[in-house]
Amino acid sequence: MPDLQMKDIFKEFPGVIANDNVSLTVEKGEIHALLGENGAGKTTLMNILYGIYTKDSGIITWKGEEVSFKSPRDAIESGIGMVHQHFMLVPTLSVAQNITLGLKNKGYPFYNKKKVIKEIAELSKKYGLLVDPDELISRLSVGARQRVEILKSLYRNAELLILDEPTAVLTPQETDNFFTILKKLKNEGHSVIIITHRIPEVMKITDKVTILKDGKNVATVNTSETNENELSNYMIGRSLKTFPTRKKTNVSEEYGLVLEQVGFNNKKSKKLTDISFKVKKGEIFGIAGVDGNGQKELAEVISGISKINSGTILIAGKNITKASFKTRKKAGLAYITDDRHNEGLVLDMDVSENMILKDYDQEPFSKNCIINYNVVRKETEQRIKDYNIKTPGIKTPIRLLSGGNQQKAIIARELAAGPSVVLACQPTRGLDIGATEFVRQTLIDKRNENLCILLISADLEEIVSICDRIAVIFEGRIVGIINNGADLNLNKIGLMMAGHSGETVNS
Amino acid sequence: MKYTKELVSTLIIIIVTFLIAAVLIIVAKYDPGMALQSFFYGIFGSLHGFAEIMVRATPLILAGLGVSVAFSTGFFNIGAEGQLYMGAIAITCVGVFLPPMPAMLHIAIAIIAGFLLGGIWAVIPGFLKAKYGVSEIITTIMFNYIAINIVGILVRTVLKNTESALPYSPVMPKSLSFSLLLYPTRLHGGFILAIVSAVLIYIIMKKTTIGYELRVIGFNKRAGTCSGISVYKNIVLASLISGGLAGLAGVSEIAGVHHRLLEGISPGYGYIAIIVALMGRNHPLGVIISAIGLSALQVGANSMQRQAGIPTSITSVLMGVIVLLALSKNIMFSGLLKKMRIK
Repeated sequence: MPDLQMKDIFKEFPGVIANDNVSLTVEKGEIHALLGENGAGKTTLMNILYGIYTKDSGIITWKGEEVSFKSPRDAIESGIGMVHQHFMLVPTLSVAQNITLGLKNKGYPFYNKKKVIKEIAELSKKYGLLVDPDELISRLSVGARQRVEILKSLYRNAELLILDEPTAVLTPQETDNFFTILKKLKNEGHSVIIITHRIPEVMKITDKVTILKDGKNVATVNTSETNENELSNYMIGRSLKTFPTRKKTNVSEEYGLVLEQVGFNNKKSKKLTDISFKVKKGEIFGIAGVDGNGQKELAEVISGISKINSGTILIAGKNITKASFKTRKKAGLAYITDDRHNEGLVLDMDVSENMILKDYDQEPFSKNCIINYNVVRKETEQRIKDYNIKTPGIKTPIRLLSGGNQQKAIIARELAAGPSVVLACQPTRGLDIGATEFVRQTLIDKRNENLCILLISADLEEIVSICDRIAVIFEGRIVGIINNGADLNLNKIGLMMAGHSGETVNS
Repeated sequence: MKYTKELVSTLIIIIVTFLIAAVLIIVAKYDPGMALQSFFYGIFGSLHGFAEIMVRATPLILAGLGVSVAFSTGFFNIGAEGQLYMGAIAITCVGVFLPPMPAMLHIAIAIIAGFLLGGIWAVIPGFLKAKYGVSEIITTIMFNYIAINIVGILVRTVLKNTESALPYSPVMPKSLSFSLLLYPTRLHGGFILAIVSAVLIYIIMKKTTIGYELRVIGFNKRAGTCSGISVYKNIVLASLISGGLAGLAGVSEIAGVHHRLLEGISPGYGYIAIIVALMGRNHPLGVIISAIGLSALQVGANSMQRQAGIPTSITSVLMGVIVLLALSKNIMFSGLLKKMRIK
């Protein structure tokens, strides 16, 4: 008798069938991967199990009994815990307070701190989940916060843990540590469901895989009986594309983007200290690092949204240190932001209006303040065709487009003005595999057209697959710069991402 | 299809409003048949009634346009009432202090002065919001009280008509009066000013880069910043246009209706303008339609009071109901519309 059985789960949202008779079976003590692209229905299925959504039809049996949780509270009481992709912790409270939050222990409403801390210490020892119960959440690293989330579930006696994209925010070393924890959990008889779209992880850690595509079951296989290519075929209907490494023929000696000892200090955001690097025309220069180490700030000082306190920035040989956003754009800078919804697009405006967001005050789109909507429409139609943007029409609010098509619209707009430097910040975040490959291919094509490209990404796989040189950022400093090639040492990059300095290899 | 949905929900709002009105009238022991008859007689029964609707709609269109421009830019200007009074002060000063001159020039100067003074009255909160993040909702409301009391001071001091004991300004010279459009009714040239303003605002908001910037800032300030569009500049600009239009409403009331400055020239036009902008979905045509609709409601209610003795305060209740329904219609009616298979 399996521990958990979800049978023929059906869930429809207005206009979309998120789960179309999906089934999932998890045995006791099993690490089970739920694999699929963004939008395949993985998280919806788990949210149904966890009581966040209600299913339209289907049967869930948990330990032999049919259940239908009305809220996460019900699910937790039955021994199911979920760690969301975005952690649900209160930063201003301590670890112990977060773990016991909402629980009515003996003696409630009085808090038996000694007992709680002892219990947490025992749990963390048992599973290797090292955290200090007295520390404030806001002072913990992302990896430690994840351990707190897992402890929170275990403290509530979770027998089945659901983890949504658990490795998305971890360094390679933290990921290894996390896998060790998973194995301990398994040995103690807990079951784990991992929601993921990363095939190598599935191969490394899981016992069984269920693949979803477009809200439907594709297959369930034992991990030991499959391989990466087969999984990729199940997931996207074809093998993963590999990007050929660059032939080192037409290396340009001209620099497109130069940063010299850039310092940025602002109370509200991360500090940047002494950042220097030069990006040549015809190369993709990658900035690797764990999220939140100053990547966003770096993108903003280069694009001109924030002004730096010290140092110099050159674009195509021009000193633009103090220039405005628009002047930098005229100097040849294109900026693909990591936050499509808040920064790259005006979601309530239509596709054509979003297409001119950066050029509305330039000819041919406008003259003497009057916008020529005829030109705007023609240009929009052309870009929709060139970039294969799927939209019902140019007057459709861009909110209604899928993430991939929104990103294509941004890229179409940013590349339209013929830039010489492209600054891409997390350009594939949240995109499905098809759109991700499109974005990467576009960046490579632009590199081959001799553009200078700075790619800031927390996805190490992405950096390694398309960059020519890689810099690692940690706590607002560039820890080191290394050439990308066959001899690339991933382990070393991982250590650098955690703050260990690597020796700088300049080319 | 989108329009059918709009139409059906507007119809539902009208029906619900009438039902609530009927309930109120019956509870207050009046005759609903008589009420209905006098209501519609007031609106459609005579040329005078029709003209009166337009007269009342004129300041509502102007101030409503102002509020809608501010709303479109994410600046919640609640201060149209005060800005309207500042416009009225401006035209009165032009009439009292400037030497006699040809009517065209005189009116033109008054319009510019009214626009500027109303605009400045909104730019101060606009500046405080853009520069220091001070809530414009609070500052614009407070500025209403200041403006109203400034009027009270002026009509007793500097602008007082020395020939009278009452707190009035002198009557404006003939060259500062809008001509009547439909003698013998009160319909005056201010209505044309309102319609022209609506067309201009439509062009500015929808066809120019100025309006494009304002709308981008209204929808998403962050995206504006990240595209090199200044939030600061556009909020100040929006508040200037917004206050200026409300100021024109004050100019129009003096030049077209009252012909002198006195206290209480606006029965809350500046506040009703907020409803006008909300119901008109910040679109100039919508503003015109909802301004005319709301003033028809008031004119009809006045007629009900005269003929059936029903207090006009019922219109205040109904306006509240309309706002609630208009704001919540998308949520409240979506189930109903789905059942009726209207998408």
